[in-house]
Amino acid sequence: MGATEAVVRPGAISPFQASLRVALRRLQVVWVRIRHSRTAMVGLAILIFFIAMAVFAPWLAPYGPIDRVADTSNCVPSVSCPLSPPSAQHPLGISEEGADIYSQVIWGSQISLIVGIFAAMVASVLGTAVGLVSGYLGGWVDEVMMRFNDVVLSVPWLVLMIVVAARIGTIDLLGLILVIGLTGWSITARVIRAQVLSVKERLFVERARMIGSSRSHILLRHIFPNAFPLIFANTILTVAVSILSEAVLAFLGLSIYNTVSWGKVINQAIGGGALVIGGNVWWLVVPGLCLVFLVFGFYLFGFALDEILNPRLRRR
Amino acid sequence: MAQILKVMVRKGINALITIFGIICLNYALLRLMPGDPALSLTPRDPKYQGLAEYNRQLFGFDKPPWEQFVIYLQRTVTLDWGISYRLGLPVFDVLMRDLGWTLLLVGTSTVATIIIGMIIGSIAAQKRGKPFDILSTATGIFLYGMPIFWLGYLLLAVFEKGSIVGHYFTWWPALPSQGYYDDMLGPWSWDGAHLTSAAQHLFLPALTLTLGTLAGISLVMRSSLIDVMTEDFVTTAKAKGLSDSQVLRRHILPSGLPPMVALIALDIAFVIGGAYQVEVVFNYYGIGWETIQAIDNLDFPLLQFIVVVGGVAIVLANLVSDFILLLLDPRIKVT
Repeated sequence: MGATEAVVRPGAISPFQASLRVALRRLQVVWVRIRHSRTAMVGLAILIFFIAMAVFAPWLAPYGPIDRVADTSNCVPSVSCPLSPPSAQHPLGISEEGADIYSQVIWGSQISLIVGIFAAMVASVLGTAVGLVSGYLGGWVDEVMMRFNDVVLSVPWLVLMIVVAARIGTIDLLGLILVIGLTGWSITARVIRAQVLSVKERLFVERARMIGSSRSHILLRHIFPNAFPLIFANTILTVAVSILSEAVLAFLGLSIYNTVSWGKVINQAIGGGALVIGGNVWWLVVPGLCLVFLVFGFYLFGFALDEILNPRLRRR
Repeated sequence: MAQILKVMVRKGINALITIFGIICLNYALLRLMPGDPALSLTPRDPKYQGLAEYNRQLFGFDKPPWEQFVIYLQRTVTLDWGISYRLGLPVFDVLMRDLGWTLLLVGTSTVATIIIGMIIGSIAAQKRGKPFDILSTATGIFLYGMPIFWLGYLLLAVFEKGSIVGHYFTWWPALPSQGYYDDMLGPWSWDGAHLTSAAQHLFLPALTLTLGTLAGISLVMRSSLIDVMTEDFVTTAKAKGLSDSQVLRRHILPSGLPPMVALIALDIAFVIGGAYQVEVVFNYYGIGWETIQAIDNLDFPLLQFIVVVGGVAIVLANLVSDFILLLLDPRIKVT
């Protein structure tokens, strides 16, 4: 290590910084392509809409996520009773517990985005680490890791999440993120491993090996930057999957107790008789549509990125 | 042929290792978490007092960990999985009964998904960039992002007996949304009335699951075929003067299909996850519905082996698709 540092000229940057710079330069190139892809731009617009909703929720929502705006003592019939239908004051009506559903839907965007993004990051970091190491080292390390990956991939993710969540008992934000992230990395690992396997046979990696570069140097400086765009696109698709996972868990009753998410609102809507004739259908439909559009936005953006970044498709 | 056999044996061994891994992971899930496992296997209710002791004996929680593991393995292999609290029946019997109905649901919708998805995908690939392609791709991605439970509720709202639509239009079909078949018919037997009723009860859950998983197949079918369409041998085939349908059947499909088989296998885990939601929405008493009941009633003996049963089902599905893949695509044999 000392010998190499001696010949490096002053002001030189570490391999990690260098690989980061390469990655950033690639992202810049990608941004130009994104601006020319209609699919990506539509996806991005949807994402910006929901991110704005989440960021400005405290100003947009007339009430807090679990504020009671009505109970049987202060209720004015047909306007502000629990289970009231939509009205001018409460555009989506009032829930069984007396909360303003419109406010809940706006606040719900925060949980969906936070859980989705952070769980996807946990899954991506884990999956990338496993994919890089197992793809590059090969041999028995690869064999062991891929067998473990098979196990995680084969256990039905929903059951795994439910069992873990049920064993933890009460669930908080961090717990939810970990449950979704720790059960969702295996597909990422497979995708990254496949990419590493193809990059590692390229000529420049061969050359780096010839001039005596260390394994970690090749991995960080040559292979990681080349896999980075794919990792990025894959993370965005994983966010969509994580958002859906959160919604499914909330729908099954496994949600954070002191706040709302769209899945939880849907759960309460079913409990509050949204499907019964004369029930408040919007209670069920609006949070569901928000989920669908948010996930649609991530998918559009992610698929478009994938098409931009995947060299096999780019040649056409 | 000998080489195919060798690969098959290796895949079989890998599958066994994976199943063993699932069994180990399941052991860790229950034991590594804080708390006395014998107590957490028992509901906190005075009437179950004796059960903690029974479970301690059955799974040997008072013995050292390695001995516990051996006992657990023995129990797992001999299918002696304990008694479900909720039902008072052996866990294995309960799970096998439920698995049958879940497989009926998953099987029906998988077959429908594959057939419809492949047809839509190949039409979209042929009409790339035309309205049909754009419409089907956009609808596909939209459906792909739809939470399956929500889709189920929407269908329920529209088609259920006494639904909102049926309230206004008397000719609207009213489909049952509860259970396997009409309880009025008495216990199950293989006669026309039971079969018709079972099919009616299956329709909405299967439709939900099909719509929810359709896009996964049709989108990949489309991109897989488009990949092949730009290969040189397709251009050659067209240059020879073959008709479009001939090129599709003889040249594009044979090399475009193998990736689909691999995808369908990967998709099965996703479909089973979807089946869980569908079963809860429609009260279809399969493995998923049983899981939720087990959680609500803290029926841990049942819960702990649901992971094993689901995992083994997915491993076997993957293995079968691997074998089909081997027979379909000779190039894979080498790797």
